[in-house]
Amino acid sequence: MTFLLSVRGVAKRFGAVQALSGVTLDFRAGEIHAVLGENGAGKSTLMNILSGLYRPDAGTIVFDGQPISWRSPRAARAAGIGMVHQHFTLIDTLTVAENVALSLPRGSRWRFDAAVYGRATQELARQLGLSIGPPQLRVAELPVGARQRLEILKAWAHGGRLLILDEPTAILTPQEAQQLFAMLRALRAQGQLVIFITHKLREVSAVADRVTIMRRGQVVGTYQVGELTTGDMAERMVGGVVPAAPAERRAPDEAVALRVTGVTVRHAQRMAGLDDVSFAVHQGEIFGIAGVDGNGQRELFEVLVGLVPPASGSVIVGEVPITVFTASAALAAGIGHIPPDRRREGLVLTMSVLDNFLLNRTILNRFSRRGLLRRAALRRFVMELAQGYAIRLADLQLPIRVLSGGNQQRVIVARELAEHPAVLVAVNPTRGLDIIATALVAGALREAARQGCAVVLISTDLDEVLELSDRVGVLSHGRLSGPLSPPIDLGRLGLLMAGAA
Amino acid sequence: MSAVQIPVRQFGAQLLPRLIALCGALAVSAVIIAVSGGSPILAFRAMLEGAFGSVDGLSEVGVKMCPLLLTGLAIAIAFQAGVWNIGAEGQLLMGALAMAALGRRAGVLPGAIDLGVVLVVAAGAGALWAGIAGALKLWRNVNEVISTIMLNFIALGLVSYLVQGPLMEAAARYPQTDAIDLALWMPRLLPLHRVHCGLIVALIAAVGVHVLLYRAVIGYELRAAGLNPHAARLAGIAVERRLLFAMLLSGALAGLAGGIEVSAVTHRLYEHFSPGWGFTAIAVGLLGQLSPLGVVLAAFFFGALDAGSNAMQRVAGVSSVLVSIIQATVIVFLVALERSRWLPEPHLAREEEPAET
Repeated sequence: MTFLLSVRGVAKRFGAVQALSGVTLDFRAGEIHAVLGENGAGKSTLMNILSGLYRPDAGTIVFDGQPISWRSPRAARAAGIGMVHQHFTLIDTLTVAENVALSLPRGSRWRFDAAVYGRATQELARQLGLSIGPPQLRVAELPVGARQRLEILKAWAHGGRLLILDEPTAILTPQEAQQLFAMLRALRAQGQLVIFITHKLREVSAVADRVTIMRRGQVVGTYQVGELTTGDMAERMVGGVVPAAPAERRAPDEAVALRVTGVTVRHAQRMAGLDDVSFAVHQGEIFGIAGVDGNGQRELFEVLVGLVPPASGSVIVGEVPITVFTASAALAAGIGHIPPDRRREGLVLTMSVLDNFLLNRTILNRFSRRGLLRRAALRRFVMELAQGYAIRLADLQLPIRVLSGGNQQRVIVARELAEHPAVLVAVNPTRGLDIIATALVAGALREAARQGCAVVLISTDLDEVLELSDRVGVLSHGRLSGPLSPPIDLGRLGLLMAGAA
Repeated sequence: MSAVQIPVRQFGAQLLPRLIALCGALAVSAVIIAVSGGSPILAFRAMLEGAFGSVDGLSEVGVKMCPLLLTGLAIAIAFQAGVWNIGAEGQLLMGALAMAALGRRAGVLPGAIDLGVVLVVAAGAGALWAGIAGALKLWRNVNEVISTIMLNFIALGLVSYLVQGPLMEAAARYPQTDAIDLALWMPRLLPLHRVHCGLIVALIAAVGVHVLLYRAVIGYELRAAGLNPHAARLAGIAVERRLLFAMLLSGALAGLAGGIEVSAVTHRLYEHFSPGWGFTAIAVGLLGQLSPLGVVLAAFFFGALDAGSNAMQRVAGVSSVLVSIIQATVIVFLVALERSRWLPEPHLAREEEPAET
């Protein structure tokens, strides 16, 4: 059996994170091959290597009998490898034909002949059996499904042999997804290879011939789709995770600190949003919310911290319902937060470490009098606080951007827990951190819970959720299922995450 | 370490590129002078002596510096809050217009109080003009760069119309207003020299802006909103309100500059009243790294160039326009040397993390 594409022992490392190690797998011409895995399993990294965006640290790739090392995505495209990224790479203000022209080999250096590219676009669309509308239409006017078809067309413009799709259905309606699958089957019938990255078990069963399951940067195995039940796939996808024994954790207090009832958020573009989400978190409890990225985590965070009002439903902190959804109202009600993107939402990078502590309203109020800041008192307070979090005092006057990610996160955690919020919403609090910083952050969350804080831990890192949480809910397509209490059945958890249960 | 030292230290670290920029600009100017047949050394010496060689020269530095300092502070406040107020020129004109219009009637109140009140009105006029752009940004999401630039043209046109029409002097000879009432003339600092108390007002304003930005809660919120609106919003800071506040304060300072200029120097308003203070202010603000202390130094430097340019023209026969070249070249050098490091970063580049699968 010969393979169109073989990957042998490929490894890739980003800083402290080993994204891929010893990945070996083969792809055949004329198959639809699904690559299944959680967030951070290494799927996208592998595909970015195949499409020439990254170069592997080790290992070889053989494409059509030739060992290859792409210098750029352009080189990979020229060889017939097209990739459709999760996020569109189209220019909205240009027309369909102009977007396609960007991917085509340039004809004339000076002249742009719209008619030529228009014909080329239509010819490509015909070959692929894609309908994307008139080539002179602006991309901004296209519906999402058509934009994705245009992306595929662009990826194919060089004469494709291998099409890689990264989570293609995330933004599609079910009908559009069906159209996409039909098109993939047509490509397969032409003898092309389609690699399809997903975390949705249903889609694997629906469209793929074979599936490779990845976990933690390694290949778990490659299977015929018929071989495995969705339960088997889910278990292999999340498997190997040993839930920490729920030892030495005190029983959650009776009192409910946070009650979320029927919260619904409609999202303009993506389908997810939030759909009738209800849960309650007790004082002293860590309530984990697991799930694959993009299933409503962002929306839930935004509602809880007051950035976005829900379309319906209520959020009650202690006894007090939140009526006005603003960040300051949420903070006043006692909801602290560790935001998902610390550099964008948690810090002002060019300000000093000390000044970043003032980004918490309670601290700001405490260290101001008659509208003026009390910097000396703030400094004493922060110096004391810093010791518990191993923040170097010498760093306090430096702009926080010079600190490592781990040290930046320590500042955020120290700041948010300093005033003992009733509720703490933490989103991916240890993402991208090294082991020591991870342990410190995890310890701080545990300690906060021990002191009575109700922690909502929204994380796409399943290990983290299982290790820290007293109970675990699962977000999938904006719906919250569960909560599960330990001992947690991993197979069931995997099915919930994949939206298959 | 006191809070005052933080901006001071940052400014010190930025001194080197500024010195290089200054030397580079002087070198370029020297070449231009030489090519046009002049003597660079003679010209620069004349300029130095013109600005610093006599009490009168120093007095002129103070006069030229005053509007640049106030408008430079206006730029510093707005830019630190992340609102790009390019309309200091128009706001200054509105302040000058308020002073000229109110100044025609005799003082109702005792002199000093009267002047104070009218200056407050001038500042208010500037704030109002800036507030139009602020309101448009807040409620209609109009880019303030565009609206403030357009408001400059409107202010220019308005002044032009008024000084030729309703507010034209009684003699109706020149397109200018009548001189303002003597009671509203800004007292001079030194007898027989033009330098006036407005400079003191401007310096006090600089201290005030410094305290506001670095010591006050509202200043902290304003800077946080300017540097990272996402984080500021999540921290419960009313970002939009802070932006509007910064815009109004910025306009008020520019308006005050216009009011003081009419009260202290020209005593009347006419067409082409401003030689572009509101635009030079952007250069002053950037050269001063948007810090009030830096703006004082930058305004002093630009004021000295202006004051020295006349002497240069007189003594060395080099056109005073050369000063504009020096001022512009300094900024070009600075921007090239450190790109936009002194500007707030409204859209921070995201941390490079491994791609999530």
